[in-house]
Order: sequence, then C-alpha cells, then structure tokens
Amino acid sequence: MTKPLSNDEFFTQLTSLFQSTTHGSVYLTQKRMPTPQSAPSPTAEVPFPDLAPSAPTSILIRATNGENAKGRKEGKKVKLSTVVESEAIEGFYARYAEVCKGGMVGGLKKRDRSKAKEKLKAKKRKMGGEVKVEGKA
Amino acid sequence: MPNLPTAQEWLTQSTLLLQARPSTTRITTKYSHPRRPNPLSKPKPTPSTTTPSDPTTAPSKTPTSTLTLKTYDPISGATLKYTTDKAQEVGRLIQILGRLARGMAGLEMKEEEVVVKKEEGVEEVGTPGGEVDRQIGGAKGPAGGGGGGKKKKGKGKK
Repeated sequence: MTKPLSNDEFFTQLTSLFQSTTHGSVYLTQKRMPTPQSAPSPTAEVPFPDLAPSAPTSILIRATNGENAKGRKEGKKVKLSTVVESEAIEGFYARYAEVCKGGMVGGLKKRDRSKAKEKLKAKKRKMGGEVKVEGKA
Repeated sequence: MPNLPTAQEWLTQSTLLLQARPSTTRITTKYSHPRRPNPLSKPKPTPSTTTPSDPTTAPSKTPTSTLTLKTYDPISGATLKYTTDKAQEVGRLIQILGRLARGMAGLEMKEEEVVVKKEEGVEEVGTPGGEVDRQIGGAKGPAGGGGGGKKKKGKGKK
C-alpha cells in the first residue's frame, strides 16, 4: 500500500490517470478514514459510537485503474490515495468534480439538444409546406 | 445486488445506509470505457429488421462509456448500484458524492436544496433526460433525513 498523496498531487495524478485510460475503467472509492486508536468500543448506553463521532473524521479517497495481475506485472497498475480533512471536503469536491467531469464526459452520451430542435423545425417546415401546397392546389 | 432505476433512489438509499453505518460504508465510482470493436475483424452482417438506411439508428450502435455508482457496506453486505451513460448526470452525481462525503465525515449534509435548485433551472428541456432531472429535483426530501412527507405537488389553494 502506497502512502496517501497530498490533495494537490492526487489531482494531478488523477488527471493523468483519466487521460491514460483509453479503454478499461477508472475506479474511485471514498470512505471514512479509519482511526483504530481512537475508536471507542460500544457500550450498553451507546451501542453504535460511530454514528455520532465526537469530532468530524477525515475521508479516504482511492483511485485505481483496476489492472489485473498481468497488468500489475507489466507495471500498468495505478493506485492513488489521498486523505481529505473534514474542513477541506468542500474545496476538495469542487476540484474533484472538475477533474472527474473533464475525465469522464468524453465517452458518455451527450444530450443532443440541437438534433431535437432541428427535428422540431423540420416537422414544422414540413407541415407548413404541405399546407401551402394544398392551398395552391 | 439491486440496480436502482434512478439517481434519486440511489441517493436516498445510500444516504440511509450511510446514516446507519457511517464508518464501514464505502462509495465506489466506476467510470468504464467500452471495449472497442476490433477494426480488423469485419462486422457480422446482422439481420436487419428495420430499414438499414435509417440514419438515426446508426449512432446508437457505437458503445458508450458508463458511470456506475456503488454504495457497499461490507459488514451488512448491503449493495446499492446505479449506472448511467448520460454526460449531463456526471456533474450532479459528483456533487452528490461530496454531499455524502460530508455525512461520512460526521458533518451535516447541508446546502442540498441550493444545489438542486440551481440545477433545476439549468435542466429544463423536454428530453427523456429532463424527466429524470425533474425527478431528482422534485424528491429532494429524503436526503435530509425524514423529509419524505412533503410533496411538491399542486399549489394548495386555488
């Protein structure tokens, strides 16, 4: 397991991961950062101490390209991780959204507003034309 | 492993799962490119039922990438999945991820109404995607916890 990167470094590497992945997948995972030393054990009064942590915890973000054992041997496997402090979540996700949008939108279906509009226009024109023809005849 | 039909449903269920098990639940976002058809191999002649010269059917054959969201709690084994291939949903889904991350960290999941309202204004086109958007915008209650009762249907007094 590699050490978590700083948020800035994570973003630059994530951007290049998206760019280098032309086929296959990019996996991003987020979970609460485990803190084994401070985890209180459940008691009768507080059966689930993790439901209301005394202080906000940080978030662990991981990214990988999901290469299998063969790819790992060839050195293709990319694994990144970073820890986001609770205060920095908002700023992090603003940038995260930018990076992900930039990396993901390419292959996804775009909403084709222009096509729908053209169809509508063509329909109208067609109807209008027919009416005119009928009027002449 | 349920595959949920709408993003809103995924968000609702994921929020509940996160509230129940905030320390073990994880959210995985998978962005997968399709396997491209081999350019060397000739495409098989498919028996065409529709007219072959129809230009609208041609672009749909090209495989698109997909975005899969998965919420998983390894302790209870609960899994929630949602898959989309619409580009316009990516932005919203990542904003949702940020909102859920706040809940994960033990912070309040705030400002969801602002986000939803802002996007409601943007997404106003009568395409199928627009319908989904309106669903997302309309049923924003459950994310805040226990807001399922209020429905924004009708204007009350007439």
